[in-house]
Amino acid sequence: MSLEMESNQPTNSQSRADQRDEPDRRKALAAGSSLLMAAGLVGGYGTFFALAGRYLFPSGAGRAWLFVADAGGVQPGQSIDFESPAGVRVTITRKSDSTEASPSAEDFLALSSVCPHLGCRVHWEGHNDRFFCPCHNGVFDPDGKAVSGPPAADGQDLPRYPLQVVDGTLYIEMPYSSV
Amino acid sequence: MHGAYSRGIAESQVLSGIWRNNKYLLWDVLEHREIQGTQRVSRLVAWWNERVPISGDQLRELTNEPVPNHMKKWWFALGGTPAYLFVVQILTGIMLAIYYQPASTTAYESVRYITEDVTYGWYFRSVHKWAATLMIAAVVLHQMRVYFTGAYRCPRELNWVIGMSLLMVTLGLGFTGYSLVFEQLSYWGATVGGNIMDAVPVVGGPLKQMLLAGDQYNEQTLPRFYILHAAILPVTLILLIGVHIAFIRLHGVTELEGEVEPEDKTKHFNFFPDHILTELALGLTLMILLSALATIFPAMLGPRADPLTTPEEIKPEWFFYATFRWLKLFGPTFAVLSMGFIVFLMFVWPWVDQLLVRITRNKETSTYIGIVAVFLIIGLTVWEAAVAH
Repeated sequence: MSLEMESNQPTNSQSRADQRDEPDRRKALAAGSSLLMAAGLVGGYGTFFALAGRYLFPSGAGRAWLFVADAGGVQPGQSIDFESPAGVRVTITRKSDSTEASPSAEDFLALSSVCPHLGCRVHWEGHNDRFFCPCHNGVFDPDGKAVSGPPAADGQDLPRYPLQVVDGTLYIEMPYSSV
Repeated sequence: MHGAYSRGIAESQVLSGIWRNNKYLLWDVLEHREIQGTQRVSRLVAWWNERVPISGDQLRELTNEPVPNHMKKWWFALGGTPAYLFVVQILTGIMLAIYYQPASTTAYESVRYITEDVTYGWYFRSVHKWAATLMIAAVVLHQMRVYFTGAYRCPRELNWVIGMSLLMVTLGLGFTGYSLVFEQLSYWGATVGGNIMDAVPVVGGPLKQMLLAGDQYNEQTLPRFYILHAAILPVTLILLIGVHIAFIRLHGVTELEGEVEPEDKTKHFNFFPDHILTELALGLTLMILLSALATIFPAMLGPRADPLTTPEEIKPEWFFYATFRWLKLFGPTFAVLSMGFIVFLMFVWPWVDQLLVRITRNKETSTYIGIVAVFLIIGLTVWEAAVAH
C-alpha cells in the first residue's frame, strides 16, 4: 500500500523542479526504499514475534534424570520403589528374563501411572491384580498392558518412564517438582 | 485504487437497495446468476461496506490530520516515541506476567526462572527494563521540547496538565516496576517510598498504609504493587494518552514561530502516510536499539530481598536520583513538601507563565527558569550518580 502511494503521489515537500527531474529514477528509488522499509518491518517485527512465540512455549524445564540405584545390584524379577522429589511413586522392575551381570536400560521397566487415554492417574488394585483408571474404567495388567476400557480399545498401554544406565548406575527421567 | 473503491461502494448501494426492496431478489442475484471473479470481490466489498458503513473519504479525514512542516524534523517525533515504547511495554509486560508470580515467597524465584530458564526470557525482561528507561527519557525530552517551544501556552494549558499527569503515572510505573523483582532494591525502595509518603502531613500516614498494606512491608504488599503496575497505572496511562491525543487533534499541532519557509511551499503535510512513515522508521530504530541494549546490557538479578539487612550501597533507579539527592540534602518533611510544591508548580506552569509574562513583560522568562531547572536536575542526578552515599 505504501509502495503505491510513494510512487504515485510525491510528497508535497518536493519542489516542482524536482518532479521534472528523472521521474523514472525517482519512481524506482521510491519503490526500492518502500520495499526495503516493508522488508525491515516484516523482518524486524517478524523476528520479535517469533521470539515471543518461543518465549510463550513451555521451555521443558522441570524434568531431570534422577538417580535410582546401582543397576547390577537389582536382581532379575526384583522391584524397587522409587519416590521422586515431587512425591511421585514409581515401581521400577528388573525383567525376570534379564540375567546379565551388567544390565542395560532395556532390562528395566518403570511404568508411569498416567493413563494413556486422557491423562488421569491410575492406581494399583492389589485385590484385582490390576491397574485401574477411575476416569473411564481403563484396566491394565501388572506389566502395564491395556486389558479393558477405552485404552484397550485403542491399544494404548501404560507409558513407561525413560530409563538409562550410565556406568552401571540406573537413572530415571521424571518431573522433579510438582504444583 | 480510488476507482475500484468507489465502484465497490456503488455496487454495495445497488445490492443493499435490492435487499431493502425485496430480499428474495438479492438471493436471486447471489445464487442463480453466474458470478464472475470480479463480481465475487465486489460482493465481499459490498458485504463489508454494508456492515461497516465508513466511506473512504471519512477514513481519510480521520487519518489525514495536516501537520506543520516542522514535524518533519526528528526532534518533533518525541511525543510518538513514548507512546510506541508504551506499546512495547504492554506487549513485553503481558509476556512477563505469564511467568511472574506476585507473592513475596515466589516473586524472586519466578523472575530468576524468567531470566535463566525460559527461552528468550532474559531478552524480553531486558527489553521491558530498557524500554522503561527509554520511555521515561523520551517523556522527559518531549516535555522539555514542549516547554522550551512554549507549546503549552494558551489554548493548550489543559493538555500540559494531562502531560504532567502522564509523567507522574510513568514515574509511578517505573517505581512499582522495580519493586516487583523482589531483590534488595525492590524491598528497600518500597520501604523508603512508604516512609517518604509518611512524611506528608495529615494524609501521609493513611497513604502509606494504603500502599504497603500495613505499617511496614509484609506479605500483602507485593500484590498491591503488582496491581498498581500491571492494571491501575497502565489503564490510567491509556485513558490519559487518549485525552492527550484528543486535545492535540482538537487544537492541531502547535505552529512553530520563527520558521523560515519559502513562499511557494505548503506549510503542512499529511499525517497519513507521511508522518506515519517517520514513526514507522522511528519504531524500527527503537526496536534495534532496545534489542542491542538488551543483549549488551541485559537486566541482572541482584540479591533476594532481605528484611533484616539493608545493603551498604543502595540507590533507586536513575530517574529518581535527583529526588533522592534532594532527600539527603534536606529533612524528609521539608524535602517532601518542597518537592510536592515543585511538582504542583510544574502542573500549573501555563498559568505561572502567564503571570511571569505579565510581571516581567518578557516572553522568555519561563525559558530562563527552565534552563536553570534543567541544569539543577542534571546536577543533582550527576551528583547522586558520582558518589556512593
